[in-house]
Parts: sequence; structure tokens; C-alpha cells
Amino acid sequence: MPEYRFIGKPADRVDALEKVLGSAMYIADYFVPGMLLARTIRSTLPHARIKRIDLSAALKIPGVVAAITSEDFVNHGRFGYPVEDMFMLAYERARYVGDGIVSIAAETESALQQAVDAAVIELEELPAVFDMTHALDPSSALIGEQPADAEGYPRGNLLNQYAVRKGDPAHELSTCAVTLEAEYSTMHQEHAYLEPEGALAIPESDGSLTVYASCQSPFLNRANLVKVLGLPEGRVRVIQPVVGGAFGGKDDLMYQISAQVARLAQLTGRPVKMILPREESMIASYKRDAMQMHIQLGADASGRLRASRIHALVDSGAYSSITPFTAWRSSIHAMGPYRYDACHVDTDVVYTNNGYSGAFRGFGNAEVCFAIESAMDELALKLGIDPIDLRLQNCLLPCDITAHGQKLGDDVGLAECLDEVRRLSGWQHKHPLYTSEASKAPIPGELRRGIGVAALFHGISLGAEGADFAAGTLEVNPDYSLTLTSGLTDYGTGSRTTFTLIAAETLGLDPNRFVMPRPDTNSAQDSGPTVASRATVLGGNATRVTAEQLSQLLNQAAADLFACRPAEIIRHGELFIGPGEEPASFEKVVDHARKIGLALSSRGRWSAPEISWSMQKGQGKPYFAYHYGAQVAEVLVDTGTGKVDVTGFWAVHNTGKVIFPQGAYGQLFGGIAQGLGYALMERVDFDQGYLQATNFDEYLIPTSMDIPDIQGEFVEKPFSAGPYGAKNLGETGLVPAAPAIVNAIANATGRRIRSLPANLERVLLGRDLRKEGSSTACKLGLK
Amino acid sequence: MKYSLLLNNQRVEVEAPGDISLLKLLREYLHLTGTKEGCDVGECGACSVLLDGKLVNSCMVLAAQAADREVITIEGVCLPDGSPNDLQQAFIRYGAVQCGFCTPGMILAGEALLADNPQPTRTEIREAIAGNLCRCTGYQQIVDAIEQTSLSRKEKKGHA
Ligand code: FES
Ligand code: FES
Repeated sequence: MPEYRFIGKPADRVDALEKVLGSAMYIADYFVPGMLLARTIRSTLPHARIKRIDLSAALKIPGVVAAITSEDFVNHGRFGYPVEDMFMLAYERARYVGDGIVSIAAETESALQQAVDAAVIELEELPAVFDMTHALDPSSALIGEQPADAEGYPRGNLLNQYAVRKGDPAHELSTCAVTLEAEYSTMHQEHAYLEPEGALAIPESDGSLTVYASCQSPFLNRANLVKVLGLPEGRVRVIQPVVGGAFGGKDDLMYQISAQVARLAQLTGRPVKMILPREESMIASYKRDAMQMHIQLGADASGRLRASRIHALVDSGAYSSITPFTAWRSSIHAMGPYRYDACHVDTDVVYTNNGYSGAFRGFGNAEVCFAIESAMDELALKLGIDPIDLRLQNCLLPCDITAHGQKLGDDVGLAECLDEVRRLSGWQHKHPLYTSEASKAPIPGELRRGIGVAALFHGISLGAEGADFAAGTLEVNPDYSLTLTSGLTDYGTGSRTTFTLIAAETLGLDPNRFVMPRPDTNSAQDSGPTVASRATVLGGNATRVTAEQLSQLLNQAAADLFACRPAEIIRHGELFIGPGEEPASFEKVVDHARKIGLALSSRGRWSAPEISWSMQKGQGKPYFAYHYGAQVAEVLVDTGTGKVDVTGFWAVHNTGKVIFPQGAYGQLFGGIAQGLGYALMERVDFDQGYLQATNFDEYLIPTSMDIPDIQGEFVEKPFSAGPYGAKNLGETGLVPAAPAIVNAIANATGRRIRSLPANLERVLLGRDLRKEGSSTACKLGLK
Repeated sequence: MKYSLLLNNQRVEVEAPGDISLLKLLREYLHLTGTKEGCDVGECGACSVLLDGKLVNSCMVLAAQAADREVITIEGVCLPDGSPNDLQQAFIRYGAVQCGFCTPGMILAGEALLADNPQPTRTEIREAIAGNLCRCTGYQQIVDAIEQTSLSRKEKKGHA
């Protein structure tokens, strides 16, 4: 492997200093003169017709300046991608508890509160759908906008359908020596970014608008604003302040909030800010989708996997958001990283009135990984084969052909991950020991140990879902610093540091020379949405291409200075060396470029390699490459209370070259922590459409006491299409964590939990204690 | 009402309503926005400050309760020249910062612990920050940063 100067070496995050000092500016920290505060009145019914809105009394309250509804936007503020089914404020119907209906701007919080109380919104309750398994029943209420016999999708409550097709699994299954058939389910998950959503719109004197928004994709935000405000693109500028975490969760709701403050700012001619309280954030924001998965697996007696047949149902809730893409990703990953003679996957995505679902780290893969990795363990038990051996026997290897018909490259490193995680975790000794302990009847209250494994593959970037490219710019400043921009934003993931290191390595310049301004639609290049772990490969390659272009310009200038050909220039550190001359410093080369009128700036763009997917055939090349990984969890289960302690955790991921190790470990540990929450405690419960937990006192996320020290390792098999051989790793830590933990619980107790989360009662009793739900928390939270 | 407190080693006086939280007083009336609001119900620790040296959630403390007492916020942790102190530097070096929203509270929790227990074990560090939620890091690098600071402070003391 080549020796790099900056890549893979210790480095500090470029934005850490302002964050430790407390001077980093998040959206709530902006206070501008004359600023109004805004709030949104939201539906307290899961499905309702909006009969009448009367804001006259609210507007008479001293200090209340303006109020808006869907009527105040072009085309009622309709937006949404890939399906345009949302509004900036609900139009005609509210489809979930928390759907925004009216936004108000006022001078003070107390005036705002009085206005909220005085506003008249008459809702007529409509029949609703809460059980995804009945969403497609002909008798169910229609939540979508199109009739059930519409051409194309969505059709009735069916938002979309996806399939993967290889061979005839029904036939194969009938001839398999060992088969497994089981049903798994996952629930919604809240992103729980520590910073709630917020936006600030500032009207400029020329009629244009500047919007500061704590969002993931400033360019998508601007595109939506342009559409619903009827302004030309050049008149809307979106700036992303420091974002306090997103994990996929700061898109659609953030676009609504941005449009609301923008419209209020336009109407009042004053800056307008809205920050959501935690309760409102939890009620109004989208979640990870809930899924139900029916899995059939079949294998030879020797453990060779032969067939899988999977049917999955996805609850998209009231709107589409990006769920068609996450559900497609679910379909592609549902069979896990294994070889099969035959495989069918069918996925139905449906509308309900359970809030709504959208992007969340893992992007559809966390759900199906839980199901298939649980099923693999159940199958291993039936076969009497060690769970890691079974995975090794069947896992995808370099140059294999996947169930989708895709021939893989030489970057596949799953077997290495499984071998290494087995060694690190002490599996060989622990697994047989804990298995034999579990075979004895428990003494009530006894503590039982267990160990579990899970593997994953995860398609890099958007895949056949969308056009995939990123762009960047680089410019040498008068003071010899360099400004680097990327349209892919950093909301805490460290991608700005990754890009800086790539630019520094490519140009042979010190990373400290580079500045990366905050993403701003006026200065950065549009690079599409910052989702689906796109940053490292897409943004990294765009940065590399941009830096290579600038490097050529610099070599050209140096060649002119030395009167030689650019190809003769040799680089040493920051020095440029020509044939037989004194080396020239970077500064000297820059000065010379200026003298000869050579502009030192570059613009680069990188498009992902060709991919293709046939929706009809259920075959193709869905992603240009995959990340692979394997994790092992060790647990201690209290058989008296059902309490599970995760006491050890090992993770080995095939990341390609690691560019920013500190950031890579941070992504890994942070992802695992969220996966641990998903496994054991995080439960978004919709009861009749009402969220049961609306703040951190009831929605529990892991604390420092819930997570053990994690041992992580990377298999750095270089990936030829990645920048310096790197793959993405932003999402993947989370994905296998839950099944590894639940498999460990099964190993400890001998009891299989097929529904997440594995909370106390499920571990102890194997079922839920039915609690009466209530609408109180939501109603209080929206008051 | 008029509030007077010893804030980051400076006596400050400010006019503000009588019924607000210390968090609101700091952010909206004293313009110290390093202290964050994550939940406003005392569950996340993003609003942590030191009140007479003790770690508190400022969203749960009435501003009036802080009157005439000593308050240290994240803005008061750095060295006199504005550069980061050793714990803040360790947060940078060990990757304890991602989105940074929990960071001010975490640093104050770390300082409160090290003042009380200069050589904590990793478990004691985890206990001390258990009231501070972090959704990004999985806590491990935060524990590393606090542990390393305790070791380097011990070494410095040994040399002094
Ligand atoms: S804001 Fe005070 S504890 Fe969360
Ligand atoms: S760094 Fe984001 S919450 Fe801790």
C-alpha cells in the first residue's frame, strides 16, 4: 500500500475547536435584531378533514404579526421527493398527529402562545389506518391521494412495490434438508439528534431571502423554497449553520419549517425564527420505518444455503418522504450477504396514519438485517452448525454473483471480517460455553451470559435509486490558504475533515492551509442529497478530482517558472522541484501563477460508476459496490427481571482505506450505540396514531452506562473506485448491532425474540404486557 | 427582576423576568449560547453548567436560584487567552466531538468529575457523564478524553 502523508494519519476534526469552546453557532444561537418568533399549530387528530380555519382572533392579539396556511404557498406548498405528496402546511387533510396546519409569527413567546390558543382550526375526524397489515384492505380508509386502481404508483394505500428475482425458491425450498420459516418485526425509531429542528429566514432589502436551516441538504431545501415561494433560484440562499446531529432525520420536516419561516419573513419583512421544542420535534418529525418480514430459508444438511423467500411490509406512515428509496434498499439487502441458488424478495410499502417514515442511518438495511441475521442464527441452531461457520460457509466472496445477478469486485472482505471478529471476541471459547450453560434450566434470578454475531453488506451511496454525483470547488486565496467547498454537508459526521485530508494529500499541501466554509447554496456546488453514506466516496472523489485539477494548474505554473515541462516537476512536501534548479515554495509558485495570469481555482465533479436495476425482472446491478462487516455482542441477562447488559462488543468492518481514523471510529462507535438502543430500548409506540413518548424522560436512548467499551477494527482492502481506496462507513456501524445483540440474548436464554426492541418484558416473558395507550402526551406536547 | 451572579469569574447584573430558568437567562439575556437546550425537562444534560462547582441542568434551575452564586458555563472553561484548556484539547485529540451539541455539557461534566475525583476509573467516568446524552459518539472517545486528561493532570501534579 502506498505511504500517505495525511490520509490514515491522526488528524483533528476541522470543526472541533469551536465546538469545545462553545462558540460554534447552531441555529438556536442566532439572534438578529427585529427577529420574530414562530410556531406551528399541528393536528391533534391522526386523520382529519380541515373544515375551517379562522385566524382573525389570533391576529388581533397584541404582538402577533402574521399567520399562514397552505393557501399562502404556490400550489399549496406541494413538495416531496420521490413522490410529491406533502405540503408545507397541510392542505385539505391532516394525515398524522403532528401534521402542521397553521404557522404564526409574533414578537414574543407569550403572544405566540396566546395566538396558538386563539386560532380556530375545525377538524372533522376521518377514519384512519394504524395497522400496516390492513392498509391494503379494500375496506380500509384511503390515506394516499390516488384511487386503488390508479395507473402506476402510488395506488390507493400502496405506495410502491419492489421485487428481487432469482430462480424458483419455492421449488428449491421443497427439496431442502433443513428449512426455516419465521416472522420478524421492527418498530419505528426516533433519530433523537440532540439538537431539535430550527430555521431562521432573513428578508434582504432586494426582496431576496436568506434561510439558515439545520438541515441535511441545503440545495434540496432551496429547490423546495423556490418552488413554493415562487421566487427565482437566485433570490433564495440557504446556509447551513452547525448542525447538531441528523442521522438522516433533517430533511422533509426541515423543508417545511424553512418554508414556513421564509413565507412569514416575506410577509412581515422581518427575520423570523422557529425552533422546535423537543416534544414537538418528536411528534412532528419522521422516523425510521416499521417493518414486518416473513422469511423462509432452506439449506442442505451440510449447511449450504440454497434458497430464500422473503416478503416484507413497510409502514411509510402518512407520507412518502424518502421511504420508497429506503424500502428499495430493504429489498436489495433483505437476503443478507449470502449466496443462494434461488431468492425472491417482495416488498410492499404502504400508507398509514402512524406519523410518517423517512431516512434514518441504515436507510432500510437495519430493519432487514435484523430479520435475516436472526433467521441465519435460527437456521444455524437447526443445522447444529456454529453461527459464524454457517455465515463463513455461505458469505459473498470476491467475484461472486449476488442474488441480484451482480458480479462483485475484488474488494469484498466479509470472510476476513467474520474471521477477525471471531478471534477478537474470543468466540471459539465463549460460544460453546454459553450454549451449554443455556441448556440447563435457569434458577430464577440467575444471570446468564450469551454471545451473538451478525454480518452485513451495505450498498454504497444512492444506488439505482437516483442520479449519483458530487461536485466541489477549490481556490487559492490571497493569503495562500485554500478554500474548499462541497455540496455534501457535514452534520457531525466529520466529512469536512475527510475532504480536507483528501485535498491536502492530493495537492501535497498542509491540511491547515485549507478552509471549508459552511455549506451555502451561494458558494458551494449542488451535489444532491447528503444521505445514504454518500459523503466519503462521492464527496471524496469529487474533492480528489477538484484537487487534481488544481494540482495540474500549480504544476503548469511551476513549469513556467522553471522553464521546463509540467511532467518534469517533482513534489517534495510542499516544495516544487524542477530539473536542476532551486526548489520553489508553494507561495512562490502561486506568486508566479498570478504573474502569468493563471487563475488558481478549480471545479470538479465525480459521477458514480454505471448501475442499473430492472424493476420488472428484479435483477441488475443495484449498487456499484458494497461495504461489508461483522459484529459480535456479548450480553449478561438477568433471568429474574429480563434486564440485558451488553458487556462486550467487537466490530470488524471492510471499509477500504480509512482516511480519517478518529472519525471512522467515531462513526463506528456512534452507529453501534444507536443500534444498541434499537435493539434494547428505543420504542416509538404509536397508539391509534398517537406517539406515547415525546421526550427523553420516556423515549430512552443509550447513556454512557448502557454501552461497553467497543473494540473496532477495519479491513482496509482497497476499493478501486473509492478516493484513495476508501469506502463509506457512516451508516454501517448501526446496521448489524441489533441482530448481534438479540442473537446473544437468544444464546443466553434459549429464547428467540423476533420483534424489536428486546425490552424487559419480551426478554422475560417472550411477549408484550399490553398497556393502554393514550393521546395525552401528544396533546400536551402540541399545546 | 434584577439578577446578580458571579458568572465565569465575573460579577454580572442583568434585568430579566422572575420566572425563567437559568438556561434561558444565560442564552437569551446574557447571550452565552454555548449552553444548549436539548430537552428542557432535565434529561439530556446539554444545558449542564457548574453552580457553586456542582454540575446542574440549568433548564431545571430557576434563574432566581442562581442569584449571588457562582456559575461556570462552557465559555468560562477555556484558558484566559481564549485557547482550549487541557480537557477541551483532549476532546479534540481523542475524537470526543462529533456534532458537538452535547460537548459543552460533557466538558462541564468532565470538569466536575475531575475536581471531585482527580483519578477516576473508566467506570466512574461513565457514571459521571450518565446524565449527559450523546447521540453521535457512543461515548467511548469522550471517556478516553476525560481519562487522558486525568492522567496528564496527575503527571503534571507529580512534576510540580
Ligand atoms: S435541556 Fe436541560 S437537561 Fe436537557
Ligand atoms: S457529539 Fe453529537 S450529541 Fe454528542
